Amino acid sequence: MRLNKLLRLILFFSVLMLALPLQVNAEKKITVYTVNYPLFYFAKRIGGEHVNVIFPAPPDVDPAFWTPDESTVRKYQQADLILLNGANYEKWTKKVSLPMLRTVDTSRSFKATLIHIETSVTHSHGPGGDHSHGGTAFTTWLDFSQAALQAEAILKSFVRKTPEHRQTFADNFAALEADLLQLDERLKAITAQKTMFPLVASHPIYQYLARRYYLDLKMMVWEPDADPGRAEWQKLKKQLKGFPALWMLWEGEPLAESADRLGDMGISSIVFAPCFSKPKQGDFMSVMQQNVQNMEKIFK
Amino acid sequence: MIDSLYLAWRYLTYNKIKTFILVACITTIAALPLSLEILLKESERQLALRAETSPLLIGAKGSALDLVMNSLYFSDEMPAPIEMAAVEQVMDTGLAAPIPLYVRFHARGYPIVGTTLDYFEFRQLQIGQGEQFGMLGQCVIGAEVARQLDLQPGDSIVSSPETLFDIAGIYPLKMTITGVLAPSHSADDLAVFVDIMTSWVIQGLGHGHQDVTTTSDSSVILKKNAANVTANAKLMQYSEITKENIESFHLHGDQASFPLTSVLVIPNDQKSSALLQGRYLERETHYQVVRPKEVIDALMATIFKIRNVLDAVIVLVGITTLLALALVFSLSLRLRESEIDVIFKLGCNRATIARLLGAEILIIIMISTTVCLGLLTLVAHYDQILVRNIFI
Repeated sequence: MRLNKLLRLILFFSVLMLALPLQVNAEKKITVYTVNYPLFYFAKRIGGEHVNVIFPAPPDVDPAFWTPDESTVRKYQQADLILLNGANYEKWTKKVSLPMLRTVDTSRSFKATLIHIETSVTHSHGPGGDHSHGGTAFTTWLDFSQAALQAEAILKSFVRKTPEHRQTFADNFAALEADLLQLDERLKAITAQKTMFPLVASHPIYQYLARRYYLDLKMMVWEPDADPGRAEWQKLKKQLKGFPALWMLWEGEPLAESADRLGDMGISSIVFAPCFSKPKQGDFMSVMQQNVQNMEKIFK
Repeated sequence: MIDSLYLAWRYLTYNKIKTFILVACITTIAALPLSLEILLKESERQLALRAETSPLLIGAKGSALDLVMNSLYFSDEMPAPIEMAAVEQVMDTGLAAPIPLYVRFHARGYPIVGTTLDYFEFRQLQIGQGEQFGMLGQCVIGAEVARQLDLQPGDSIVSSPETLFDIAGIYPLKMTITGVLAPSHSADDLAVFVDIMTSWVIQGLGHGHQDVTTTSDSSVILKKNAANVTANAKLMQYSEITKENIESFHLHGDQASFPLTSVLVIPNDQKSSALLQGRYLERETHYQVVRPKEVIDALMATIFKIRNVLDAVIVLVGITTLLALALVFSLSLRLRESEIDVIFKLGCNRATIARLLGAEILIIIMISTTVCLGLLTLVAHYDQILVRNIFI
């Protein structure tokens, strides 16, 4: 009887000893903080179950003009990896201390081809306060070939951090890259039908989209959820002289009044969402597929 | 024998000055070389340890010793500055991890080390009290700085102007202490650490001020047009970075061109280290890459040569002192002729006189040995601090 107990005890400890390393392995998941939703999506798809990806910006704030509070900065500091968009996207990083060796600038590989804009016009929307889109154009992922390069930078940083999952990361990246390049090819094919087609955009965020897909874009500084005001309507009228644009790209669904007034001017509204923050429905890929479908309507 | 010791002790206490001089001479001649030996061994240990754990340094071409001493021990000899682009160059190679260092400014006599959070991980420095700096204008201080200046998290420390008469120069920056490092018994204990961007603000490459585009005070505006606003010297610049004014702080110019004193480089492996060093051997580059261990080994070799000379000098001084002591004893024997005569007349033989003199010498040597051991114990106890303050 006593021997039986002893055997049970040995068996229990043997199982415990075997389970402990498994427990340790389970805790090896790396924590990755990102500065916008596209990077969150890429990291999540590449890292899969081996990576804990966190994008802490509130959903109603444009992450490009968001500043995290001190406790969130501390969380960024403690992350295994911090994924930056680069192109001067995350301006708050110039005011805080982050570990440089754990920080990855995902647009570094195409730094030389970033677009620099000269403008001093400031405007405000949301809780972020006044801001300007001058400096460097930062919606790098709207050129899907650049998005693929950003994803590749994420892959490399993951492999460097946990080389044991190299194959899983590589497979996941290959699938993501294929999706992005497919979008790229599709949009290229759509816009190739009418190169340098004149379009108006509601916000100055489509520079890379215009460059990659040969769009002739005039960009306003309008918000979809607000009336642009008389001055801006006047400005648009001026822009349209000698620029026969028939479509306006919006970040989000515009106000019915704005869309109607544009309609009266012979301009149709269509959404090309940059997907800064997590969409209410779907994910980055579904939003971009919808964007491409919308572009198809323009170039039909 | 006890009687002889008693008589000798009475004699020595009666002739206090003579005894003191003899004890001082013997103590000095014994303690000096031994103390030097202890301090040199400790300095060798500290120098070697720091150098061995710092694989490579990149800095401007020039004195390798200045570069190593400034980067590893935060000495005042500042090497010529290099640009932040040097960090990016190393990063681009993929062969190593770079950590920027900017050791130029001081706060209350202690060096301000501008770096990134990676430095603390690399040196395995732990926060003893408080927390790591998180925002621009915050700092963490070494354990000795905190002890000597009686500072703790929440207090402030102000950067010092580089020259006393630099009235038109850089504004001192009041920095908030967020943490105190746990003692590491290295140069890190005696430094004030800030983010590299904060060190650029101290230099004046970045600053914060009231918004000139929205200010209602026209007296601060020199020139204004649609594209540009030029402010005059009346524009108030902030001397402290707070939550309220941090948004107004900005750096002027391209960060890649901002100054550093060196880059601490951690190669991926031996091969990467060799490849990286090879790249900096090219003539066109303004940078040099050094292996701190080699520089410190060369320094130690020089120190050893100097030590040999010092040892020879000490031996010579020792011999001279012993001869002088012998002379003092022989002269004192002559002076004590009448005293020795009385001892003879009391019936004592020569052996008793020899015993008396021997007891005197023995007591002097014992006192000297005790004092010497006390001094050596003190030196050994404070060797780390002494070495950091005297040698490094």
